[in-house]
Amino acid sequence: MSADSHNDPNTEPVDRRLSRRAFLRGAGAAGAASALVAAAVDSADHAGAASPEPRRDDSRAAVHKGEINLTLTINGKPRLVTVEPRTTLLNALRYYLDPPLTGTKVACDRGTCGACTVLLDGKPVYGCMILAADAVGRSVTTIEGLSPDGENLHPVQAAFVEHDALQCGFCTPGFVLTVTSVLNANPQATVDEIKHGCAGNLCRCGSYPHIYEAALSAGKTMAKKGAGNG
Amino acid sequence: MADAPTKRRIKVPKVVNGIESIVEIEVDDTAGPQWGNRDQFTLIGKRLPRVDGPDKVTGRARYTHDVRLPGLLYGRILPSSHASAKVATIDTSAAEALPGVRAVIAFAGKQLRYQGDPVAAVAADTPELAEDAIRAIRVKYDVQPHVVDVDTALAAGAASVYTAGNIRAEEPRGDAAATAARLALCAAVVEGEFRTPMQHHSSFETHGVVVDYRGGESATIYASTQGTIGVVGDTARALGLEQGKVVCIVEHMGGGFGAKNGLDLPGSIACQLARKVNRPIHLMLTRSDEFLMGGNRSGSLQRLKLGASADGKLLAMVAEQHKLGGLGGGSQRNQPFMYKVETVYRTMDSVHTNFDSSRAFRAPGCPQPSFAMESILDDLAAKLDMDPIAIRKANISDPVHLRQLDMASEAIGWATGRNKRPGSGQAGPKKCGMGIGISGWGGGGGPSCRVTVTITPDGAVTVGVGSQDLGTGTRTYTAAIVAEEFGLPIKAVRANIGDSRLGNANGSGGSTTAASLAPAVKDAAFNARVAFFARVAPALGAKPEELAASAGKVVSADGKSLTWKQACAALSGTPVVATGQWKIGLSDSGTRGVQAAEVEVDTETGKVRVLRLVGVQDCGLPLNRLAVESQLNGGMIQGLGYALTEGCVVDKVSGLMLNTNFEEYKLPGVMEMPAFTPIIDDNDKRGVIGMAEPATIPTAGVIANAIFNACGVRVRTLPITPDKILAGLAANAKASGGAA
Repeated sequence: MSADSHNDPNTEPVDRRLSRRAFLRGAGAAGAASALVAAAVDSADHAGAASPEPRRDDSRAAVHKGEINLTLTINGKPRLVTVEPRTTLLNALRYYLDPPLTGTKVACDRGTCGACTVLLDGKPVYGCMILAADAVGRSVTTIEGLSPDGENLHPVQAAFVEHDALQCGFCTPGFVLTVTSVLNANPQATVDEIKHGCAGNLCRCGSYPHIYEAALSAGKTMAKKGAGNG
Repeated sequence: MADAPTKRRIKVPKVVNGIESIVEIEVDDTAGPQWGNRDQFTLIGKRLPRVDGPDKVTGRARYTHDVRLPGLLYGRILPSSHASAKVATIDTSAAEALPGVRAVIAFAGKQLRYQGDPVAAVAADTPELAEDAIRAIRVKYDVQPHVVDVDTALAAGAASVYTAGNIRAEEPRGDAAATAARLALCAAVVEGEFRTPMQHHSSFETHGVVVDYRGGESATIYASTQGTIGVVGDTARALGLEQGKVVCIVEHMGGGFGAKNGLDLPGSIACQLARKVNRPIHLMLTRSDEFLMGGNRSGSLQRLKLGASADGKLLAMVAEQHKLGGLGGGSQRNQPFMYKVETVYRTMDSVHTNFDSSRAFRAPGCPQPSFAMESILDDLAAKLDMDPIAIRKANISDPVHLRQLDMASEAIGWATGRNKRPGSGQAGPKKCGMGIGISGWGGGGGPSCRVTVTITPDGAVTVGVGSQDLGTGTRTYTAAIVAEEFGLPIKAVRANIGDSRLGNANGSGGSTTAASLAPAVKDAAFNARVAFFARVAPALGAKPEELAASAGKVVSADGKSLTWKQACAALSGTPVVATGQWKIGLSDSGTRGVQAAEVEVDTETGKVRVLRLVGVQDCGLPLNRLAVESQLNGGMIQGLGYALTEGCVVDKVSGLMLNTNFEEYKLPGVMEMPAFTPIIDDNDKRGVIGMAEPATIPTAGVIANAIFNACGVRVRTLPITPDKILAGLAANAKASGGAA
């Protein structure tokens, strides 16, 4: 059969799949740039690090230039990180922080499964759908920040363990943070409200029934403590 | 009746809700390790929160994906863009010129047989740079004719996937003419064509490894695998090292469900990259690549014809079964699956397509025939105006299934909740109905694990084994069995697992992990206790056989006792180290289950809501009730996905899979969840048996039957999406003369 004209080397790169995130990355260039200006971020534009290969769209070419130094507020502490402007918050946490925070998991990397959920100013967001630069000036809580000493578990963490609301555990950090956010807003949340709150998180092992049990139990603990500030 | 000479009774302290009392228990040392009386357990068989739970809820648990090493490079694979093609030319110069790109491998001239077949691979300083490098590779394909669906593959003149053709037939079973003659005499005959799609494992942690090889003679590989030990040999071969110089570590792993065995594609490519640059490589598949090269549950095409006597006795069946495993052979158990039919004629073949090879997936080969058989059985029951439970009982002899049918029936409220005839329920657009079905699995254990228990003079107890924990709770029952032996809280025992240096172990497949490992742990714990008592007895002025360990104390027959710490201090500087192996009698094999569902069908939209799922399951000695329930729920949830939402969608024209992501490959989520009733069948008093696989076998057929019972629509092609319900309602309305 004939050669595949779609992959003629003179026309375009072989990988033409455009993911939702790739689109956002491109679109995010402008947003990131403005965020950088607003936050007066130290820009360390290394000309030598620029990609020699011209990209198909200019906004993406712009994204590829250089690295930026960001100060992110992670679990209440300022953390310096050097990333490219296109780097997602998820990747900044997992690959660029030193030492890295790998409790935030990557499973779909395109805003579907919730394994990379972190709290941004207390609200659950997908870490893979936000550029690290867009988190500057905001408060990022990762799973490692929920019980800073690691010994005294947050009521949601304790309830997940007690009710076996996890199996392989890969979706667990995302679920714990999502449930925490739901219960912070309303410790007396009903099962339906908890389900609604968790609708953006998936679990392949099938721990959902135990997750509700854990959430209801944690809600009771939090209401009793008058906590709600997780 | 006198006790057997090897048994004796001894008084020991027992703590209940913090209150200590003395109770008499029976011990039996000389007969070797035995589970003993279940009523005496303080940990085994209870609801045990998993010991690695705190690590998993705090993010401390380190998965392969989380391993970071000095000098680590990130690998990525370029998958084939075509289902069938040859790599004509490949230009990697632009990729190699990118800063931060350290290695590029190109498979020039390779014959590609499926979308996803690796074309090239790279390693770079960051994941983003690796992605850039992949995108910079230019490939020219010689595209060849492909076949990705069963109908095309079976048709005359189809493109050949293999030179031997697309069909690999097995010998037919039975007598075609005799079966046809028997069918002609049946009081009722039903037939149907059933199709099940390829289901994807969709483990949340994708396939992959971090291989730490920097040249030299040794390497460590961190792998997301179901077989820690098996990866060692594969890696040694891939790196050209001696097997004894390779260590495999699997601290935690994010799901496998059958798909993760051996070094696998990403592992072998990571090793190639590592050899090229003598640097450690992190290569975890992207989600899209995982869909394309991570395996699948083979699809099926089944044409069944089933006949019965007027009282529902199954007399004759003709079954045409096709296994659709892509490039692989696929897996499908013989019809009539778990039922007895007097006369059967059956053909079976594998039909190959240009798609990633099937792999083991939780109860390989079972959900496909289960779905078809449970469905057609209820069609027959409807035709004979029989209760689906009655027709099952008429064709099952296994007393466990008969018992469990009653248990599930009672739990779901079958007597009052089921429509007496399909679709005969309430008025209004929303119709409820119930369905039921059976499952079974062999499983069982064997001698593969070598377990070591160590007690040190400071009181620490550790147990080590190479086995991995897929999320099933392996680490937890390992600790619990040892703690139980010494009367200690589970926290007092540290379970080290998932490291090839800790001792041989079997890969996790076929629900054999618990039945292979638990007896070996029990044996090691027993041996450690006997050795420990021999060393400690003088401190209590007693004979070793007069000692017992309970509630944190070591007690002698005359009532003297030492705390655990004091007893360990008596070891005078030398730890107790004991090993254990699998012993016959501590495990068993052969599990049975029954599931029942209640669903609601919206006849205006075709939407199905599963309201309740009941799962009854035996598993011999349940080591941890909480974890068994988690697995039973999980099996049913994966079955629910198989019934209603999941399936690889592959385009015939382009040959490409269209839903290589979690938006379009629909895993069941929170909003699809019914209420669950997991029931452990405690009538089963045998040893340990794994139960992960049977939990997912009957669910799809059970849900399909509940839908049929609710609205009278029989959907024979999974997943049962709203369009199929609406089409079925329209067909039923037309058949009954237009009365909706």
